[in-house]
Amino acid sequence: MATRTTNNLRSKNKQPTLAAASFLKATLAVIWKDLSAELRSREIFSAMLVFSLLVILIFNFALELDIKTRQSATAGVLWVTFAFAGTLGLSRSMAIEKDRGCLDGLLLTPVDRSAIYFGKVISNLVFMLIVEAIVLPIYSFLYNIDLFKPGLLLVILLGSLGYIVVGTLLATMAVQARTRDVLLPILLFPVAIPVLIAAVKASNGYLTDDSLINIMPWMNLLIVYDLVFIAIAYMVFDFLVEE
Amino acid sequence: MFILDTPPDTSAYMVAGYVIFFILMILYLISLFIRTRNLNQELTILESMKVQSPSEIERPVAINPPQSAGRDLKRKTAKAKVGRSNRVKKKVIKKK
Amino acid sequence: MQTKSITFKILDIISVLLLATAVYLALVYAPEELQMGQVQRVFYFHVATAWTALLGFVAAGVAGIVYLVTKDSKWDIVEVSAVEISLVFFFITIVLGSIWARPIWNTWWTWDPRLTTAAVTELIYIAYFMLREGIEDPDRRARFGAVYTVVGSFSAPITFFAIRLFRTIHPVVIGAGDPSALGTFDMTSKMLVAFMFALFTFSVIFVDLFWNRIRMGNLASKVEQLKLSIM
Repeated sequence: MATRTTNNLRSKNKQPTLAAASFLKATLAVIWKDLSAELRSREIFSAMLVFSLLVILIFNFALELDIKTRQSATAGVLWVTFAFAGTLGLSRSMAIEKDRGCLDGLLLTPVDRSAIYFGKVISNLVFMLIVEAIVLPIYSFLYNIDLFKPGLLLVILLGSLGYIVVGTLLATMAVQARTRDVLLPILLFPVAIPVLIAAVKASNGYLTDDSLINIMPWMNLLIVYDLVFIAIAYMVFDFLVEE
Repeated sequence: MFILDTPPDTSAYMVAGYVIFFILMILYLISLFIRTRNLNQELTILESMKVQSPSEIERPVAINPPQSAGRDLKRKTAKAKVGRSNRVKKKVIKKK
Repeated sequence: MQTKSITFKILDIISVLLLATAVYLALVYAPEELQMGQVQRVFYFHVATAWTALLGFVAAGVAGIVYLVTKDSKWDIVEVSAVEISLVFFFITIVLGSIWARPIWNTWWTWDPRLTTAAVTELIYIAYFMLREGIEDPDRRARFGAVYTVVGSFSAPITFFAIRLFRTIHPVVIGAGDPSALGTFDMTSKMLVAFMFALFTFSVIFVDLFWNRIRMGNLASKVEQLKLSIM
């Protein structure tokens, strides 16, 4: 993750390099905790994967696409699937954090709160990317569409990042509310619409081998969105976890 | 569109528009009114409860940690006046 | 309970009078528009509520940031009040816009940048209330509300540009799909009067409702704290 200097007044370390090192260490610790826990139980991952496959199946019957329409609908179907699976993963990930008291434990350490946030973002992103990596070949196989274009993979990376950045922030809030499971999609979808629009348009562009001129604005939008919300999340996350 | 044509008769929509506007505004005002009235009723009930049993406040409250019970709480709620700045430091530890 | 101050009551009365005048100006004083007919008259209230609501959402965002910085709960009450009233006004905007659209564009709705952003923005602020409903601790509720307002107020303009980008790349030339062709008109001076007056009226009405809502918010806060201290 970014080894930038934290100007956070809460940080006990006065020296910038020391603060950055502890930030990075904390972030990596969170990532390591999540990934190793998940490796053992695989609960989030299996839920996301099975759910994705079911959604694709449902789309197959719901849309009743002929071969040609299927091509043009692929981007949309894929992103709806990813969005729903992503929401599931985020919900579970934050719920585990809260229910097992991991969050409280982490908060006791004298580390920049945002390190926890970035750690969660990366681990959630890894889960989502792994699920996508499995869904893509399966979709490709089921519908006989070549999905292995580097442009498409880049879009999926950027889009997933944007989605998870905002999703983790909102999931942190949702999990602390009474109506936690219902609340995350309600909070997330309206706010994540720019990501979904840009991702679908860009994916479509790459799938139909559209010219780069048409695709670039969408890629730019994705990048801008990612940067803006990473910055916002960095500034506001502390307020979400203070007691 | 030619200037000499008479404009289309869309007055039904205009009427619908204004009627709906007023309905929505009135609904909102009614909602504000009802909510305020309910709040005032609750306030009177709560204040009478407070007067009736001041010992209730002395008992440690479930959602606040023990050290905030009793006089501290009374002082805090007395301080929390309407409109004034409000720095209630509660440590609410929710256990699921 | 507390009775309203005189200024407050006067503001209430002024708001009603202004609204009555605005209605008169829009329905009687302003001339009929040639291409669209009478339905154009909803435009005065449609734009006035739209502007006021959007400014209200911005004010809510600012109040949210001020709350996060100062932790003074009165800013939370300001923020909720601003969001609530803007939500109502913006809903009125959307409904009036839809009514205006039906005879002009032959459709109740179209997915153009403004309308889509409007729908998304409205949903964001409905979600805001659902978020607040689900949190019992007042302090946490205020913090989360403020954060969500900040997130939402960045997302809405980005959504607008995203969709505008969409429409630029794929120009939609389906009959009534281009809003700038069907529905624009030049305002005569009388129309301008009605328009500006409506704008002014709704600003005043917003402030009046805002003041009322803040008052109610203070009451609600008092009740909640009493509840927490007694139960």
